[in-house]
Amino acid sequence: MADFHTSIIRSIGIDIGTTTTQFVLSRLTVKNMAPGTLVPRMEITDKDVIYRSKIHFTPIATNNRIDAAGLLALLHDEFEEAGVRPGEIDTGAVIITGETAKKENARAISAQVASLAGDFVVATAGGKLESIIAGKGSGAADYSRNYLCTVANIDIGGGTANIGIFHHGSAIDSCCINVGGRLLQVDPESVRIIAISQPMAAILAGMDLALSVNQRVEFADLDRICQVMATIIGECLGGNSLSELAQQLLMTEPLRHDYQIEAVMISGGVADYVYGDQGWPDPNHGLRHGDIGPLLGREIARLLPAEGHNLIRPTETIRATVIGAGARTVDVSGSTIMVDDARLPLKNIPVALPFVEAFPADSEAIREAVTRSIGSFFAEHELAPLAIGVPGSGYRSFADVQALATGLSQGLAPLHNAGFPLIVIVEADLAKVLGQSLRARNPAAAIICIDQLQVKEGDYIDIGRSIAGGTVVPVVIKSLIFETRQV
Amino acid sequence: MNLKSKINNQIFAFTSVADVMAKANAEKSGDALVGLSAASATERVAAKLCLAEMQLQDIYENPVIPYEADAVTRLIYDRLNTTIYRQIAGWTVSELREHILASTSQNELLNLSRGLTSEMIAAVAKLMSTMDLVYAAKKIKVQAHCNTTIGLPGTLSFRNQPNHPSDSIEGILASLKEGLSFGSGDAVLGVNPVVDNVDNFERVMNALVNFRKLYDIPTQCCILAHVTTQMKAMEKDVPVDLVFQSIAGTETANQAFGITIPMLQEAHDMALKQGTATGPNVMYFETGQGSELSLNCHHGVDEMTLEARTYGVGRAFAPFMLNNVSGFIGPETIYTGKEVIRADLEDLFMGKMHGLPMGIAPCYTNHMKADQDDQEVGTMLCAMAGANFFMGVSGGDDCMLNYQDTSFHDDASIREILGLRPSPEFEKWLEGLDIMADGKLTARAGDPSIFDKPLYNNKGNKY
Amino acid sequence: MNTQTEKDIAANVIKELIALGFLDSTGKTTNVPPTLALPGSPAVDSEPVELLSAELIGVDNPHNLDALKIMRKATPARILMGRCGCRQKTASLLRFLADHAAAVDAVFKDLPETFLEQQKLFQVKTVVRDKDEYLMKPELGKRLDEASRAILLEKCKKNPQVQIIVVDGLSTTSIEANIGDVMPALVQGLMTMGVSVGTPFYVKYGRVGIMDDIAPLLGCEVIVEFIGERPGLITAESMSAYLAYKPTHATIEAERTVISNIHRGGTGPVEAGAHLATVVKQMLDHKAGGVKLAEQVK
Repeated sequence: MADFHTSIIRSIGIDIGTTTTQFVLSRLTVKNMAPGTLVPRMEITDKDVIYRSKIHFTPIATNNRIDAAGLLALLHDEFEEAGVRPGEIDTGAVIITGETAKKENARAISAQVASLAGDFVVATAGGKLESIIAGKGSGAADYSRNYLCTVANIDIGGGTANIGIFHHGSAIDSCCINVGGRLLQVDPESVRIIAISQPMAAILAGMDLALSVNQRVEFADLDRICQVMATIIGECLGGNSLSELAQQLLMTEPLRHDYQIEAVMISGGVADYVYGDQGWPDPNHGLRHGDIGPLLGREIARLLPAEGHNLIRPTETIRATVIGAGARTVDVSGSTIMVDDARLPLKNIPVALPFVEAFPADSEAIREAVTRSIGSFFAEHELAPLAIGVPGSGYRSFADVQALATGLSQGLAPLHNAGFPLIVIVEADLAKVLGQSLRARNPAAAIICIDQLQVKEGDYIDIGRSIAGGTVVPVVIKSLIFETRQV
Repeated sequence: MNLKSKINNQIFAFTSVADVMAKANAEKSGDALVGLSAASATERVAAKLCLAEMQLQDIYENPVIPYEADAVTRLIYDRLNTTIYRQIAGWTVSELREHILASTSQNELLNLSRGLTSEMIAAVAKLMSTMDLVYAAKKIKVQAHCNTTIGLPGTLSFRNQPNHPSDSIEGILASLKEGLSFGSGDAVLGVNPVVDNVDNFERVMNALVNFRKLYDIPTQCCILAHVTTQMKAMEKDVPVDLVFQSIAGTETANQAFGITIPMLQEAHDMALKQGTATGPNVMYFETGQGSELSLNCHHGVDEMTLEARTYGVGRAFAPFMLNNVSGFIGPETIYTGKEVIRADLEDLFMGKMHGLPMGIAPCYTNHMKADQDDQEVGTMLCAMAGANFFMGVSGGDDCMLNYQDTSFHDDASIREILGLRPSPEFEKWLEGLDIMADGKLTARAGDPSIFDKPLYNNKGNKY
Repeated sequence: MNTQTEKDIAANVIKELIALGFLDSTGKTTNVPPTLALPGSPAVDSEPVELLSAELIGVDNPHNLDALKIMRKATPARILMGRCGCRQKTASLLRFLADHAAAVDAVFKDLPETFLEQQKLFQVKTVVRDKDEYLMKPELGKRLDEASRAILLEKCKKNPQVQIIVVDGLSTTSIEANIGDVMPALVQGLMTMGVSVGTPFYVKYGRVGIMDDIAPLLGCEVIVEFIGERPGLITAESMSAYLAYKPTHATIEAERTVISNIHRGGTGPVEAGAHLATVVKQMLDHKAGGVKLAEQVK
């Protein structure tokens, strides 16, 4: 029975960054990990990257827009190269990071790419979430779990540095700063400035350094610029009060610093110059990409250890975000559930938590709480699908479950009458019995009752069609604290 | 051959050597279940008397299961040194007992062992009291070498047994660290897997091997899956130091375990060729009185004699460890604490007399009439009798196999009570981590979180 | 199914659950966990001394307390108890003794009459005479005695699709702890699927194979046997469900489907009951159990 219903999920990650665009295709294996005589427990056991695209420059049109046609053509070619058709992709995420996310058409493009890739591919954006995804892809989350410590992952790309803090495997904090390797573009031959981004202008102003496009720049000045950027990253990590410039460049709330950072890991394109090649025979070589990324990497490698940080090596550098997006966003539900596949997938369903802790044992109290929740989400005649989260992990009796089923049935009647499915997400392993109890009360309703997932009020959830012989559903939970209320 | 004896004017007649052997056995529920045991206390002694006067050649000529009918009998007889046997064929079992108890030389006993069939060794153990068994067993301590050495004089080693009810790596590592922090693991780091397949074997083995590598632990790793799973794993280049298998004393019981003698030979040869251990001892066997009975493959032979025959199988493959778990199966084989203690001491002596590197798992299940006190008494006696190793289970409670075995605490206590040390390489490692000093646990010991600070950064530099 | 029949089923399920005594007329369950009443004693005013929690971390001056907290959640093993010299501290020693005592009691104690009354179960027994014989001679626990056969023929509904039986096995404690939840959940699940259920009862001194004696006698298709597992020290409350399709004495173990580890700390009894309903439905549909069923639903 151990190999019962092993399923493969094909998951894609697409990262459209300031400098580069790339995608990876991963194969997630979902297997029954429970011994033969136990109730099945399906888990994602293996995450294998089966295709890595080339690293492309992100096609940017003028007028502050992404070149949509160029981007889609590029992805189309890579899909062909990978030998997959969009319909064959089960899940995944599209991420627009760094400066690119500021483009006027960023959100629209992200949604467009997601729907091109597959019907359960999620579009995300927002520096905080990306910080977490990058840290999962770089190996920082696993490191903090394996060694039971607190690790800061700094993913430094062309336009932004995303800092994610991981404690014992979980993301506990994050922030995003407008510091990156391509904020200043310089021609490697002539050492003349090609482009100065807006945040770079702020940095230069802060340094009292006047530079303009086409001007030849001194290497000493480039080093100083990189020192300033590295120092800003150091300030954000350090916990003392931030300089005015750092405050200006911070794109999110700063880190809370109510924890001790024990190790620092760098990912992103700049990371290759933090851990790798730092000395080059000819100074111009440092500008080989037409930007100051390598110089910035070298400064960070020097500065962070000097400030007492313990610099550790990631398992992925430039691909950390895309691998995190492709393999680390999707989860699976518990394995005894009740779902109506005809109503799936569902995307961006808001989650309401009518009870703060364990649900009450009284059906009337449950009905009232559910009614209140619906009222706080929707005006009376503007109902939309809503998932009810039921927290609490301890033992519950058959009587408790009956009370819950009765209370939910009554409380959710308005949504049911409006033709929406009954969507319930239980933390404890109770979805099947609750589903059957709801069925006994509402024979005609569509029921999506899944469990062993922790959700919070204000989260959004995506639920895919069932896999592994109907035993589990893939889900993506997007937390509001990571600012992903979306498209 | 005489099959009659007389005590207090009462004459007892027995039907065969096997019948005498069974009735001479100490009381065990398994023998009673099959209807083999003596009907009265006096009959039991009468059987012992009859057995004492039997010559070794009587036992040789009357194997409890015929040579033609059973591969285990054939293995034992085919490997017997006939020169040594011929020199002692005329000894009575009583003479053999007195010779062993009087002997002062391990080498002499191990040489003698090559001329003894398993049933002769069982017979002599049936004439021994508890202290006889401890006294005799103490004379022999067999060394073996896999990656490290086990069974050196003055040492007592442990298998760190960090089982988990769903093979969770995190859970396994938590118990593993706990055991290491108590100085357990010099015999082997060994997990009983819940799911027996190659994928799971590989997953759990890699976790153990990686942990061992990270901390440079001088020991061997083993996942106690079926031998065929381990062979498949070796084919896939999964690291295998020690090949584990449960074995039994009849051909049919081994078949029920899914093994044959040639299969064990193949696994043994494969481990030497494709395994990761230094060797030469690369097998780990487990045995226990009553396993044949519980599989209904006992052929009318008592469980202790079958256990001796199991050692006859074991010694053909020069194992690194043979661990006896009499008491694991339950009330239908061994019911009371007294029965377990007796079985443990019999097995320890019989195994050593076979020239095996013996360990014992004094253990009990919750449906037996035995408790922790019985187990601790058994443990102390087996340690006095010079067992090479015990199991090490956190808190004495195996949360996956659901039985009680020696705990990390009891293991460490026994070392201290009897002044025994870990295997030397392992002791040095414990000293390096400041867990042990001068053979005693330090203040840091017993805290598994000493393994939970990053040791190295990713550049390989120690923090 | 059309909506009207679905509504009928729904109404029937609740009605049936009330009739079977799983719910009272207000829809609440009647299963109250048994409590131990203290007899009058001079020490009525003093608070009883209690065992310390098994979750307690007893390691003195730990190197990394956070790490220990994570380990505590990672395994039910008895780790992190600390030590005094090489021995266990008093708290963990007493906890061990209490857990062993609970396990022994689970094996050796009879199921209380009041529990059977509460669950509306009547009792029959195998040919075993007492607990010692039961433990040492497992084969005897697979046959009903003559009186019991007669009682079953008299009291039970014949030829149901599903027969549920409750068997002591090696833990009466597990039966007491789980039956009140697992049984109504299973019955509810089966009813929502339109499956008919026979008259449940309790078998004393029974082994798994007792189902082979009972199923042919009552002519059921699928038999569900709840039986107490051999208790460990982690819990004495763990119960298994063995299921078979039309078993007889010729049935081999591979033809049975097993769901083990049903207890509050494992698969919760309520969810287990719901899951079992799905398994029973599969067995009815495929007319098979065990390995054969597993292959067919693959």
